[in-house]
Amino acid sequence: MTGSGYSYEHMFAFSPQRPVLSADLVASLRPVTLAKTRTLPLGEPWNALVPDAGLRRGSTVVVQAPPGRGGLSLALSLLSESSARGHWSAVVGVDDPGVVAIADLGVDLRRVLFVPRPRGAWAESCADLLDGVDLLIVRPPSRVAHGAARRLMDRVRERGTVLIALTESAAPWPLPAELTFDVTAAHWATSSRLDARLLTVRITGRGQAGRAREHVVVLPNRRGRAEAR
Amino acid sequence: MERLLAIWIEAFARESPDGSTLRTHAALQDALTVLCPFTESIRLDLLVLPLRGPSRFFGGEEAVFAAVRQTVREVTTGEASLGVADGLFCAEMAARRGLVLAPGKTRAFRRSLPLGVLGRKDVATTCQRLGLHTVGSFADLERAHVAERFNKHALVLHRIARGEMNELDTQRDPRLAKRLVQLRGEDRPREEQVGFFGQRGAGEDRAEAAAHRVRRRLGADAVVVASLRGGRVPEDRATLVPWGSPASRVHETAPWPGQMRAPSPATSLAHPVAVQLRDGAGGRVVVSSRGLLSGTPGAVHFSNWTHRDVVWHAGPWPLVERWWSTNRRRAHLQVLLATDEALLLVAEAGRWWLVGIYD
Repeated sequence: MTGSGYSYEHMFAFSPQRPVLSADLVASLRPVTLAKTRTLPLGEPWNALVPDAGLRRGSTVVVQAPPGRGGLSLALSLLSESSARGHWSAVVGVDDPGVVAIADLGVDLRRVLFVPRPRGAWAESCADLLDGVDLLIVRPPSRVAHGAARRLMDRVRERGTVLIALTESAAPWPLPAELTFDVTAAHWATSSRLDARLLTVRITGRGQAGRAREHVVVLPNRRGRAEAR
Repeated sequence: MERLLAIWIEAFARESPDGSTLRTHAALQDALTVLCPFTESIRLDLLVLPLRGPSRFFGGEEAVFAAVRQTVREVTTGEASLGVADGLFCAEMAARRGLVLAPGKTRAFRRSLPLGVLGRKDVATTCQRLGLHTVGSFADLERAHVAERFNKHALVLHRIARGEMNELDTQRDPRLAKRLVQLRGEDRPREEQVGFFGQRGAGEDRAEAAAHRVRRRLGADAVVVASLRGGRVPEDRATLVPWGSPASRVHETAPWPGQMRAPSPATSLAHPVAVQLRDGAGGRVVVSSRGLLSGTPGAVHFSNWTHRDVVWHAGPWPLVERWWSTNRRRAHLQVLLATDEALLLVAEAGRWWLVGIYD
């Protein structure tokens, strides 16, 4: 390295002064960007199992599981990638969130608002939060009326948020969702302690992704994260 | 350090009194945000965006440059000078020279810059008298010698020269973000987030407004935020405080010997539920003073007269804390029910409590 006379031409991979791309190529690039910004990213293993590898903004996702069989972990794992990338999320109606487990899943706790006990006003609280967050998990405390669900889904579509409804098969979400995660079986692997849980999840999309597929994922694994088996 | 694309528009350096510069800048930022949501306004004449994501998305860095040039041309009817380097300081210097530095070449580039670019005349003049003309030669000085000879500002410059810091404090216009918000009035951009250099993002403002609305509806402590602190068991490590309260944002990362390992229960009961643990014959299972179970757990009985069969258990893990004051003795036990549900129980003062559900 010499003094001020150092020439740095050879350091450059290429010059930025190249001729620009043709106009039609640039035009064709743009809508793709828009489509991308309309999706929220998903982490492992969901990015390989879900169409577009993400959650489309304005869509409603239903996570259905028998009580205590991993539905909550599954719903929270859908937040992790977006949350790590700076998106805000809210969790409504989960009375006693397991903070350590949520952090282990990779969710950034600094950008999550919890409304643990919304009492009778869960739908109104969701509507309030839809303007402020990018993802919203809701566990309705009671059976959801058809009208309430439709109003909420309309609002979600309008705001470009993603609604993740966590329900049980006894009280399912009353309207069809863009994406449904149905936990059909949960099996714990054990050693001298609980090690990992294998969840059998049936994923159903709407439209061209409508075919139901069953996958087995590890959630949580030994580090508390979600991973492909 | 992040590879940044800096967009420097010389014509914007002098702001026109009619506000058109600011308006054009806002329009340009909006247009660039479509290309990359992480576009950030540094000064009126300088915008940056991280290059890695967009270049993978557009299929190469040159495609990004083309798209950015095209956008600038459409919005400002002028030309921008583009530059790529690691870190904000070098990215701006590269942009002013119209250079794209290959990965790993930022250090050599920085060292070759003349000292004047650091923006302090006193340091530059004195160093030049000493025969130091480049940032690199300044960086080679001992830190102690710099501290001896110059003031604290020079120490900051020295860190930048060494690449320990990435931006000059004079580089960023602190008022610009606020002015852009004011310009846009109520019609705030719904951008993903801006805070990738650590300042407050637009997402935070939106979330704050939403939290306010919920609080008005449900009461002051309806919205809570969570953080972690030190501790051995999950229920000790979690802190949930009402949103907006002066939380001690201590992020405990120190190791805790004997900490219970992942996985942790996704439901951690704030108010533990009293349960009974019985063995196959129906007798009560207790934890002895030596930390052993008196029998093999066969079923968990709940207070509403229901019970569930236990097929497997792990533990107990005795925990004696604060023996010098409160002398809290607990033992944790993981049980797996026949229904494939897993629970975390704790024995304290001769009773069993349900503290967590691995939901």
